[in-house]
Amino acid sequence: MTETPYLEIAGISKSFGSTQVVRQADISVARGEFVSFLGPSGCGKTTILRMVGGFETPSQGVIRIDGRDVTHLKPSQRNIGMVFQSYALFPNLTVAGNIGFGLKVAGASRGEISSRVEEMLALIKLPQLADRYPWQLSGGQQQRVALARAIAPRPSVLLLDEPLSALDAKIRVSLREEIRAIQRELGITTIFVTHDQEEALSMSDRVMVMNAGRIEQIGTPFEVYNRPATAFVASFVGTLSLLEAVVSDRASGEVRVEGVPLAGLRIPERLANGDAVRLALRPESLRLDGRDGDQQFEARVTVVDFLGSVIRIRLQLGGTRISLDSFNDPTRPPPSVDETMQVHFDPQSVLVLAD
Amino acid sequence: MTRLLPKRLWSWAALLFGLAYFILPLIGMTEFSLKMRRGVYSFDAYVKVLEDPKFQETFSFSVFMALFTIVFGVLLVVPTAYWVRLKLPRLRPYIEFVTLLPLVIPAIVIVFGYIRLYNTSSWLPLTGTAAGTNLLLMFGYATLSLPYMYRAVDTGLRTIDIATLTEAAQSLGAGWGTILGRIILPNVLVAVLSGAFVTFAIVLGEFTMAALLNRPAFGPYMQLLGANRAYEPAALAVIAFGITWGCIAIIQLVARFAPKPATPVKDL
Ligand SMILES: Nc1ncnc2c1ncn2[C@@H]1O[C@H](COP(=O)(O)OP(=O)(O)OP(=O)(O)O)[C@@H](O)[C@H]1O
Ligand SMILES: [Mg+2]
Repeated sequence: MTETPYLEIAGISKSFGSTQVVRQADISVARGEFVSFLGPSGCGKTTILRMVGGFETPSQGVIRIDGRDVTHLKPSQRNIGMVFQSYALFPNLTVAGNIGFGLKVAGASRGEISSRVEEMLALIKLPQLADRYPWQLSGGQQQRVALARAIAPRPSVLLLDEPLSALDAKIRVSLREEIRAIQRELGITTIFVTHDQEEALSMSDRVMVMNAGRIEQIGTPFEVYNRPATAFVASFVGTLSLLEAVVSDRASGEVRVEGVPLAGLRIPERLANGDAVRLALRPESLRLDGRDGDQQFEARVTVVDFLGSVIRIRLQLGGTRISLDSFNDPTRPPPSVDETMQVHFDPQSVLVLAD
Repeated sequence: MTRLLPKRLWSWAALLFGLAYFILPLIGMTEFSLKMRRGVYSFDAYVKVLEDPKFQETFSFSVFMALFTIVFGVLLVVPTAYWVRLKLPRLRPYIEFVTLLPLVIPAIVIVFGYIRLYNTSSWLPLTGTAAGTNLLLMFGYATLSLPYMYRAVDTGLRTIDIATLTEAAQSLGAGWGTILGRIILPNVLVAVLSGAFVTFAIVLGEFTMAALLNRPAFGPYMQLLGANRAYEPAALAVIAFGITWGCIAIIQLVARFAPKPATPVKDL
C-alpha cells in the first residue's frame, strides 16, 4: 500500500459468546479501491462487513474511515451504503422512492432528490422503471435498484454482501461487470463479500482471502492466484492438484514423487532433505508438450473432458488425481482414456507446500 | 368414481347445513325487524332506531372511543411486536402468552381492578372525571382487543424481512422513528387495519366495562333497548351486522392495494 488508507480496519476481533469468529483482522483499503472478501461459508466475511457497517461492535480493535474513528458510531451515522443478498428493497416504496430514501431522510429538497434519482436511474440503465414497485421487478433489476439506493446519498464506503448470489448465472456475470463499471465511474471505496472465487478474481483490485476468522492473504488477484501465501489459499483459489513428495536434494531443488526425481523447484528455506512436502500444480501450468527446462512425469489418463476451447484431462499418478488443462488444438486429437502419457511443467510454476 | 360420489354429496350437505345454521336466524331476524307495522313490511323499526337521539349519542361515543382505542393500540402494539421480533425473538412465546391473557381473564375482573386502583380516593383518581373515566375505558378496550391486534400485527411482520429492511434503512441514515413510520407501519398496514376493524367491532359491542364505568356507550344502549322493545332490537342487530360486514369488505378492499413483499421471506 503506497496510498494512505481510506478505510482502515485495525486489529479487529469479534466473539459471539465464547466463540471467536474474527481474529485480529487488519485491512487497509485505499480511496476508490475495490476489495473482495473471499472465503468459505462461516469464515467471518459478513461479520467483518457488518462491523464496518456498524451492525456489530468489534470485541477489539478500531475501524477508521478517512481518518475518523467510527468504531462506536451507529450505522445511521456512518454514511455507508449497503447492498444485501436479498435486495431488501422497501416493498411499500416505488423504485424512485427507494432510491430517494436516503436523501429524503437526510432532509434534501424535492428537486435535489428527483434529479439525483434520475441520475441514478440512468446509471443503472432503468430510467423507465421509476414508478414500479419492487415486486414488479426481476431479481436483477431489484438488485440494481438496491445498488442505486445505496449510492444515491454519496456514501463514503460501499459494502456489498454476496449481492449476486441469489441471481442466475447469466445475470450474475453481466451485473458483475456493471457493478464494477459503476464503481469505477464513481470512484467509491468498495468492499465486496463473496464465496465465488471467479467473482472475486475478476472484479477486484485486491482480494482478501479468509479462513476460520483469520486473514490468510491480501493481494491482487494475480498474486493471490499465482503466489498463494498459504496452503489454504492455494487450494481455495482456483483448481489445484496436490502431489505428495519428499525433498531429496535441497540445493538443486530436487524432490521425488513416487520415486521420480523432479528438479529446479523453489523449496522454502525452512525445509531440509527428507522432509515430506506437497507440490501444488495448477491445471493450466501442466502441458502435453515439453519446453526447454521443463520437468516431466508419466501418468495415466482417466477422464477426458472436451469443453470446447479447453480440454480438461484427468490423470492418475500413483494414488493421486491430477487435472491438466490444455487449449484445444484442431490438428491434434486429445489423448484417449487409459493411455499413459508424459506431463510437462515449468518447475518455477510449482508451489512447494510444507506438510 | 362410484365411491367418490357419496363423499361429494356429504360435503355439499355439510356446507348447506352450515349455511342454513348461519343464514336462517339472520333471515328470521331481518324479517321480524321489518314487521313493525301490522300486515306489511316496513322500515319503521329502523327509522325509530336511527331517529332516537340516544342511539346517535351512544353510537358516536362508541365510534370515537373505538378510534382512540385503535390509535392507542397501534402505537402500543406495532413498536412492541416489531421490537420483540427484531431484538428479543426468544421472548416471543412469552409476549404472545401475555397478549392472550385478556381472553382468559373476564372483563369484569379488569374493571373492578381499575375501579379499585383509580377511584376518587386513590393516588390517581381517574374515575373522578368523565375524561379520566373515558381514558380508563379506552385502556380496557385496548386490553380486550390486544390478542387480536397483536396477532394481526405479528403475522403481518412475518411477511417482511424486518431485520434486513431495518438494516437497509439504518445504513441510509434512518432513525427508529423513521423506520417505524415509513417502513414498518406501511408494510403491515393491512394487518393493522384488520386488527383495527376487530377492535372497532369489539368496542361497539362491549357491555361490561362501559356499564360498570357508567359511560354512555353503544353496548349498554343495545342491552337497554333489547330489554324494553320488541322490533327495534332486531333492527339494531341488523344494522350492527351490516357494520361488521362493511368492515370485512373494507379489509378485503384494502388488502388489494397493500404493498407486496418483493421476495418470499422465510420465517425467523
Ligand atoms: N449473531 C451471531 N451470533 C452468534 N454467532 C454468529 C452470529 N453471526 C455470525 N455468527 C457466527 O460467526 C461465524 C461467521 O459468520 P459470518 O456470517 O461472518 O460468515 P460468512 O463468512 O459471511 O459466511 P457465509 O459465506 O455463509 O455468509 C459463523 O460461524 C456464524 O455461525
Ligand atoms: Mg455471509
